[in-house]
Amino acid sequence: MGTLVIVLTYAAYLFIIVMYSIKAAAWLKMPRHIRWDLYPVIHEENYHYGGSYYEKEEWWKVPRHRPGWRSLLYALKDNFYMGKYFEKNRWYWAFLLPWHLGFIFIISFHILCFFVALAMHLGLDVSGASPQLSGQLLYYLLLVTGALAFILGAIGSIGMPVIRFFDPGLRAYATPFNYFNYLFFLLISLTGLYDLLVVDPTLKDYRTYWLGLITLVPPVLHTSTLLHIILFDLFLIYLPFTRSLHYITRIFAYYFIRWDDEPNLPGSKLEKEVADLLGRRVSWEAAHIPAGKTWAEAACESGLSEARKEKQ
Amino acid sequence: MTRKMPIADFCRPARQVAVIDPAKLMPLPPPYDVTDRAPIRELSEEQRLRMDASLDGVVALGLTPPAGPEEEQAFIAKFLAGLEKLFSAEDNWTFLQPLVHTLDYCVKCQICSDECPAYVASGHQEIYRPTFRPEILRRIIAKYIKKDHPLKRKFFGSDIDLNWQTLARLAELSYRCTLCRRCAQACLLGCDNAIITREIRKLFSQQMGTAPKELHEKGSVQQLRVGSTTGMTPPALLDILEFIEEEIEETTGRQIKIPVDKKGADMLLLHNAGEFMAWPENLAAFAIFLDAAGVDWTISSEAVAYDAVNYGVWYDDMQFARVALIHAQAAKKLGVRKISLGECGHAHKAMIVIADRILTGDLNIPRESMLPMMEEIVLSGRLKLDPSRNDFPVTLHDPCNMVRLMGIVQPQRRILEKICPQFREMTPHGVSNYCCGGGSGFAITQSANFPDWRSAVSGRTKMKQILDAFADQPGPEIKKYLCAPCSNCKGQFRDMLQYYGAWEKSGIFYGGLVELIVNALPGLKKPFIDWDWH
Repeated sequence: MGTLVIVLTYAAYLFIIVMYSIKAAAWLKMPRHIRWDLYPVIHEENYHYGGSYYEKEEWWKVPRHRPGWRSLLYALKDNFYMGKYFEKNRWYWAFLLPWHLGFIFIISFHILCFFVALAMHLGLDVSGASPQLSGQLLYYLLLVTGALAFILGAIGSIGMPVIRFFDPGLRAYATPFNYFNYLFFLLISLTGLYDLLVVDPTLKDYRTYWLGLITLVPPVLHTSTLLHIILFDLFLIYLPFTRSLHYITRIFAYYFIRWDDEPNLPGSKLEKEVADLLGRRVSWEAAHIPAGKTWAEAACESGLSEARKEKQ
Repeated sequence: MTRKMPIADFCRPARQVAVIDPAKLMPLPPPYDVTDRAPIRELSEEQRLRMDASLDGVVALGLTPPAGPEEEQAFIAKFLAGLEKLFSAEDNWTFLQPLVHTLDYCVKCQICSDECPAYVASGHQEIYRPTFRPEILRRIIAKYIKKDHPLKRKFFGSDIDLNWQTLARLAELSYRCTLCRRCAQACLLGCDNAIITREIRKLFSQQMGTAPKELHEKGSVQQLRVGSTTGMTPPALLDILEFIEEEIEETTGRQIKIPVDKKGADMLLLHNAGEFMAWPENLAAFAIFLDAAGVDWTISSEAVAYDAVNYGVWYDDMQFARVALIHAQAAKKLGVRKISLGECGHAHKAMIVIADRILTGDLNIPRESMLPMMEEIVLSGRLKLDPSRNDFPVTLHDPCNMVRLMGIVQPQRRILEKICPQFREMTPHGVSNYCCGGGSGFAITQSANFPDWRSAVSGRTKMKQILDAFADQPGPEIKKYLCAPCSNCKGQFRDMLQYYGAWEKSGIFYGGLVELIVNALPGLKKPFIDWDWH
């Protein structure tokens, strides 16, 4: 059983990394599109009121300064704050935030477990009574991260289905898939919480388990810890089939759609890219679009003769 | 407690999926809170037989029902073939990424719903909710394109029945969103339900050859055929320009020749030709302003190029590209250094932003808005202006295309602050503005009872904003100016202010920005703004 769980854990991590990478690559591989920017664009100088470089006369002569850190911070902060929900629907926010933080903390907890186990393997005593400060720090960090993950995850997974059920706008669009997600994460959070509160208050079993993963020696674990680990592994395998990649694709969407205000300056690499895209063939069937031509060819014709032929 | 989503109803034959209840419409302040007529005219039975009105009893598109099952099946098959093309990197490189992102990653949290002025003003009609249209499309894709197993569809809640009625309603529903993209601004996941609306319109146009007559047949097709969506031919343009020159002389006492086809001019002014006919004072004001500022400019008399409009931006990529190319070719032929866009929001967005990924090589001529140049001229003191001539209440409407979608926010405000002592903002404004209600082609759509809908529903929130902005002087005895630097928005305001009787009840008049600048010029024979234009 222990060996099977070790294999399952490795397989789950490998699976999610590969699947997320494939999905992220597919997103990024889509061709560059027509500009569809939406203001405020955070890297713009006057982003605080939504201003753009088009506010300047002969904007193409004005150098553009685009501080990347500001955009990145803006994009990341909502993974941890979700301010729009706080403004618009505070009840929803009150459960959505814990649900998401629970998710972030549980991933962090398991990643931290790996590093703690690695440190233990290298000889560090990770415990509350460790003679090394780093050992104590890692111990408490792991404990706090795990506790936050289980508590916030439980609050979120209980609150989210409740609000989805009772808010008419949300309920109308809710699906069995949504409720299954909440239930799945609730089970993970509750098994973790049970461990923390009843079976293993120092979360020793988790450190031991990850040490076993590194040394490939299956450890003996309490049933509830084992259940939590199996459920979490299955959850990792399940995640790529959900919309969970939105943690990452939302940032892609900000950078590559909403904030994509890169002008197509003459002679630029972008101009060359656009010229290539215009060489793609269209197969739309309406009368005003000539069949089998490239975008550029079709756009250079008025489409009037085709429309007339169709009418005749 | 629950409000059932009528998706199942959406696919069933019925007289109407949704009924707009006048009692549930967003309230307006007195005296607009009481009305003695139905907000939206009922269609006659004859109209209903001719045009499908089974969505909400309103017609923008009004598809004709199929003659029989074979025709219906052919219609559905063609639609599904088009739907596949939406996901092709060849056919739809133009918007593939934003489309796929929204379809794949919207979690239906509904945070965007209350951002939509049409949804809120309608009394929260479910079919107008920003996530409703994408949900229909998503379900069609799951069942008919991805061919998901029935159990999977149950689990993911993606069942739907596809028939002519579903598609006719979906097509009509794509003309109940003004593409203002306020919903997209609220989305933390970067989703944009407005792009789904536009892509549905595109599918119907590029695949099925279906679009509102005013946008396609009398719009972009007419522009490509005769030169302008107004039907104005090049000789007619010259006549109108002559008329405008005479008007200028009468108002200002100045003889100003509007430069036409001036080779090597510094700037080609792309101006909405609808203005030449509906609001000739706007071009007249530009001519006076540019003449006074000593700008070297011209307009083109080339067919298509004297009309800045580009309706394709709302519904059809190919029609869009065709018009944009001709605009750029005209500029190239004249050898101008840059193209400047007059007071037309969608033309701004079309030519400056959207065409940026269409125009290459020698057609990639610098393009900008007139507003920063106007700001520079007004604020630099190059023109002597007398703000006391504009001493009446003025508020500013932010055209979505220029502001939320292009980030041109402050130049128009700095001008108004300088020349209009009683300027006041609407709430909210800038990039958080509300659409005039006539966006994405609605202002020109005159089909059946659609004009009623855009005044009563999609423009209602804006109407309330306007009234609120002038709440300190509500009566008609004080004349007020609603500044809208956009032809499309002005078209909506013309109809909407008339619909509500806002001139008679509140003395609200609308017009452009450049008219206010010219009105502030000292030494005119008579005030440039003529309140009788209402």
